[in-house]
Amino acid sequence: MKKTLRMTLLAVGAALMLPAMAAAEPGVSDTEIRIGDVNILTGPASFIGQAVSVGSKVAAAEINAAGGINGRKIVMKTEDDGYVPSRSFQALKKLLEVDDIFALNGTSGTANVLAMMPLITKANLPTVVTTAPNELVYNPVRPSVFTIGASYEASFYAQLKYIHEKLAPKGAVYGLIRQDDDFGVAVEKGYERAIKEFGLKDGIRLRYKKGQADFAAEAVQMKAAGVQVLANGAIIAQAATVLKETRKLGMDLQVADVWSEIMPPSAKLLAPAGYSYLIGDYIAAMADPAAVKWMEKFKPYMTEADIAAVNRYTFITYAGLKIMAKAMEACGKDLTRACTVENLRKIKNFDTQGLTAPVSFDNERQLGGTAIKVYQINLADQSFKALTDYQEY
Amino acid sequence: MEYFLFLVSSGLVVGATYGLVGMGFAIIYKATGIVNFAQGELLMLTAYIAFSLASSLSLSLVPLMIVTIPIAMVIGIVLERVFIRPMLGEPLFSIVMVTIGLAVILRGVTIMIWGPDPHEFPTGLSTQVVLIGPVPFYQVQLYGLATLAAVTLAAWAFFRFTRLGIAMRAVAANEGAAMLMGIEVSRIHMIAWALAAAVAALAGILFASMFKLGPTIWFEGLRSFPAVILGGLDSVLGAALGGLVVGLIENLAQGYIGQGLREIAGFVVIVVILMLRPYGLFGAREIERV
Repeated sequence: MKKTLRMTLLAVGAALMLPAMAAAEPGVSDTEIRIGDVNILTGPASFIGQAVSVGSKVAAAEINAAGGINGRKIVMKTEDDGYVPSRSFQALKKLLEVDDIFALNGTSGTANVLAMMPLITKANLPTVVTTAPNELVYNPVRPSVFTIGASYEASFYAQLKYIHEKLAPKGAVYGLIRQDDDFGVAVEKGYERAIKEFGLKDGIRLRYKKGQADFAAEAVQMKAAGVQVLANGAIIAQAATVLKETRKLGMDLQVADVWSEIMPPSAKLLAPAGYSYLIGDYIAAMADPAAVKWMEKFKPYMTEADIAAVNRYTFITYAGLKIMAKAMEACGKDLTRACTVENLRKIKNFDTQGLTAPVSFDNERQLGGTAIKVYQINLADQSFKALTDYQEY
Repeated sequence: MEYFLFLVSSGLVVGATYGLVGMGFAIIYKATGIVNFAQGELLMLTAYIAFSLASSLSLSLVPLMIVTIPIAMVIGIVLERVFIRPMLGEPLFSIVMVTIGLAVILRGVTIMIWGPDPHEFPTGLSTQVVLIGPVPFYQVQLYGLATLAAVTLAAWAFFRFTRLGIAMRAVAANEGAAMLMGIEVSRIHMIAWALAAAVAALAGILFASMFKLGPTIWFEGLRSFPAVILGGLDSVLGAALGGLVVGLIENLAQGYIGQGLREIAGFVVIVVILMLRPYGLFGAREIERV
């Protein structure tokens, strides 16, 4: 009797264990795979998070319409962090413990990714970082973290190289204005590299505190230094104010700008100063044929609000989820985080249809899509024309 | 010399916006004894309202100011009635905390309505540079300086010659005595909020026109705070002058001493002045008999 009871209990136990074992991988069921997305959906930088969400949504819709990943549909779980690192940590904790996600695509800003890193590492969470291509994210390398994008250093170097070779008068004086933080340091590295490699005249380097609104004194300093080429490391409204002040002083400048200035709201602010400024970006501009084709193809998947939210961050996050999908697909039915990470590491020359240069993660830093196109604004319609193809710098 | 003049002119221009914001702080403090930490957000909200008015009605700068001022005053009155009046008699600390909460609410609501994107503020003014001697100005910058001068003059006349202004000074000097003299203190508080909102609207319109309208514009409130401390928290005219002084110091420090000193220089001067005159340059000295 005792033996029969023991056998019965073992059988029931085994029966209960079976489905649990089958669903042992978090975020994966027979019918779906849950992918997380922590982003900036509120606050002044919410245009980034909204664009990111559209990118993930479109990629998931496209993948699901084509039958999903080996029969499993992708379900996106999005959390807002308001661009606050401590909230990013809480958001990912919730995604892991409540929503039970399998992987992460789209990851807010640099400080936010770093705040989430302990959770990502502990869970060996396959993560594609699409909006924070900062060295702090990929150096040191975390095994499950893969980053798409070039550095600000490369972006500014690429633009200054182009200006030096094609636009600036011989012996032109160069100047830099940059934010007083890590982002600004990266911008200055690109400037420094260009100054050294091409033997340029370094007229002045200015730093400003984040949040500064008035740049009149800085413009006066640049004028006094005789600056003819400006590496404008200010962003959005501040970048526009810098140019407005240099214009007021009658300065004739060639301008290199941050890639955020390729987005329509930014371009609208900067254009009135009348400088045909450059941008170095690793993502296709809205007027780029690749982006135009993408918009035509996916308009039916998007609402009016989605279409209005589309910008460069949409394209890169779309590409990120497509790469993640390829890695998951290669695992077959037995989808695990370890297998996905292993396959992400094998990604080579993934074709993003021109939204970025082909992406490869089979390198020491697990970093891809770093090639940059240099664009120039057309002041008449505020569109951007590519001056170069994607190139590594 | 040209370098110096450029720095002085740009310092005065930005100082004019500090001065206007500072005057808003001082008006409320003078009448109610409260530091309104939502002054920057009041500026933000009214600037966004003005932006919508300018975009939809195609108003140029001066008509836009004229239309926005009464709207701002109504907002000031509503905020005072809803958030501040119920707190009358409560500890000062609690009232100040309410203004901090109000600031967060106004900021959130504004971004919710107008979104996070920055905008070029449509003023209808020419963007051609106007030269005064060798010094270039945008038209809107000259309007900024003229507005500060006009508001300062109006404030001086208001507090010196009008019954309402004198009543406000009486409330500021001794609320209890003013009440005994038949002054309706709660009405004075309400008017102070209305006036502060009107000045905030002017500051917001000018600031957004000179620089950009964006969701961080509220920060101008905090940035202008040193101006009002310098001038004296209870001195409306002192705040205007304090704004100009802080703007000048910031720009001259940036231009002559070096980078990173823009923010520090203003505060260094404030610390020095407050050590010499604890109530600010023009603040009233409180004398307690013991």
